[in-house]
Amino acid sequence: MAFLKLAGTVTKRMGMKSACYMYPVVAREFTKTTRGHVELDSADCIYCGLCQRKCPTKAIEVNRQEKNWTIQPLRCIVCSGCVDVCPKKCLRMENTYSSSVTSKF
Amino acid sequence: MSKRTIIPFGPQHPVLPEPIHLDLVLEDEKVVQAIPRIGYVHRGLEKLVEKQEYANMVYVAERICGICSFIHAQTCSQAIEDLLPIEVPERALYLRTIWAEMSRTHSHLLWLGLMADAFGFEALFMHCWRLREKILDMVEDTAGGRVIFGSCKVGGVRVDIEDAKLKDIVIQYNDLEKEIKEITDVFVEDYSVKHRLVDVGVMSKEDAHVLGAVGPTMRGSGVAKDMRTLGYAAYKYLKFEPVVETAGDCYARTKVRIREVFQSIDLIRQAVAQIPGGPIAVKVTGNPTGSSFQCVEQARGDVAYYLKANGTKNLERFRVRTPTFANIPPLLKMLGGCELADVPVIVLSIDPCISCTER
Amino acid sequence: MSYLAKSPWLIHYDGSSCNGCDIEVLACLTPMYDVERFGIINTGNPKHADILAITGSVNEQNIPIIKNIYDQMLEPKVVIAIGICATSGGIFRECYNVQGGVDQVIPVDVYIPGCAARPESIIDGVVKGLGVLEEKYKKYGKKR
Repeated sequence: MAFLKLAGTVTKRMGMKSACYMYPVVAREFTKTTRGHVELDSADCIYCGLCQRKCPTKAIEVNRQEKNWTIQPLRCIVCSGCVDVCPKKCLRMENTYSSSVTSKF
Repeated sequence: MSKRTIIPFGPQHPVLPEPIHLDLVLEDEKVVQAIPRIGYVHRGLEKLVEKQEYANMVYVAERICGICSFIHAQTCSQAIEDLLPIEVPERALYLRTIWAEMSRTHSHLLWLGLMADAFGFEALFMHCWRLREKILDMVEDTAGGRVIFGSCKVGGVRVDIEDAKLKDIVIQYNDLEKEIKEITDVFVEDYSVKHRLVDVGVMSKEDAHVLGAVGPTMRGSGVAKDMRTLGYAAYKYLKFEPVVETAGDCYARTKVRIREVFQSIDLIRQAVAQIPGGPIAVKVTGNPTGSSFQCVEQARGDVAYYLKANGTKNLERFRVRTPTFANIPPLLKMLGGCELADVPVIVLSIDPCISCTER
Repeated sequence: MSYLAKSPWLIHYDGSSCNGCDIEVLACLTPMYDVERFGIINTGNPKHADILAITGSVNEQNIPIIKNIYDQMLEPKVVIAIGICATSGGIFRECYNVQGGVDQVIPVDVYIPGCAARPESIIDGVVKGLGVLEEKYKKYGKKR
């Protein structure tokens, strides 16, 4: 009995293709909802600074005088809290992750 | 009397993904006593309430533990909603339940894999984790994150799952159920697995009660206690019975978790069948006052949140009692008198989550 | 990827991480991502390892342990900080027991952002780390 079960499993597995995503060779498709990194459409931004105040890690810096919006990717925890509070809806969550870096600055 | 030796176990040890230190006092090969030392993961996040607004505490709570992340966020939101007070729409409650059960299935599969790794069955470990990835893909498709879901917020949930997608989840879980059945049969029936698990780390029903075990560790010893029966979120509308095994050994605890995976899949099916339409969140205004105590069943046991607020935007007190913390005294009891080679299996059998324990 | 000249072995230490990045590091080893295709093995012995992967920030208790593991590893070695907590402290930066990123204690070569860092991101980071390892080899004047 045990042998038959084993033979059955082996033949079944032989027909299956590999479970692996083969990541670096085959690029991964992310879903629409995936939280990757935050992007700004600066044309609509009014530099109100609401995202800066709501950010739990203080990764966003907004300068109203100089009309400057910056985010530190090494501090952002991609919670998408800033995207939710943005009054002009000019912040959006892209589904690709920010890449690794060899130095902080 | 034979010679006593003390063997340090951890914090960096191949079987432990997380740092905990145990001093094992041995007499020949028998463990006489185990002395834990914790604090390697302590961050002190309870004090963060002084710096973060109450709505942001959900993000902090979610990052207490990366495996039961969603249930932590759910409990924290529940407590704050209780303080405000606001009524959460029914659809949001159902969605929370679905995500919580998804999180439970992936956590239990993860644990089954680690357990297989601990008793030296590498292929089974790989199979468990292969199936777990499929659940994580579903989570990513619905919530947006893999291990940190990030879909819960005060007043409801952040993203909606369309009805077509909900049906798709059920279809995928139906397929997954067959595959999970295939691998869990190995845990239940295989001779060598039984040899490693049966009668190892036995804890009686009385001990489980007295030492305050929680979750599957307690239910494996025959105590039918499940916080989901309190009826938070949408559990009051769903039908289920706590899973109980009576033997109290590692094998019983494994069986409890295996049966809970199928129970969770059944709960997801029920929730998808009954989910009502409507809004997914309500607007949150004002600041919380008073105090709230919430008990929620996590994959590892019940987590207790105590929140106190004083009417400002920062909470006054944020206290979390996590399941592994309650399970450490029973673990030390189980370790007394076991063989040294069984220590990894017994430590894993309570499903330790050190980052929860120390916060 | 097929031209990796070396099979780097990796040692993983969990600082004060929340398990999220931890589990993703483990997930890299399992069938869906399977970094063992490239000869990367997660080892428990610091002396066998070329790459030290640290998840989570550092606190008072684990500073000596991280230093100990780092000192035991043989030169050349590469340190990879995985996740936001390991790079900057993340959401726990303001906690009283968190010192900040791993770079407060030992030199870090590659920073992998993300909360939690995705397995794809971790694989990319490890590949980047291999480039750094190659350069260090040249600096030591060693042949491989």
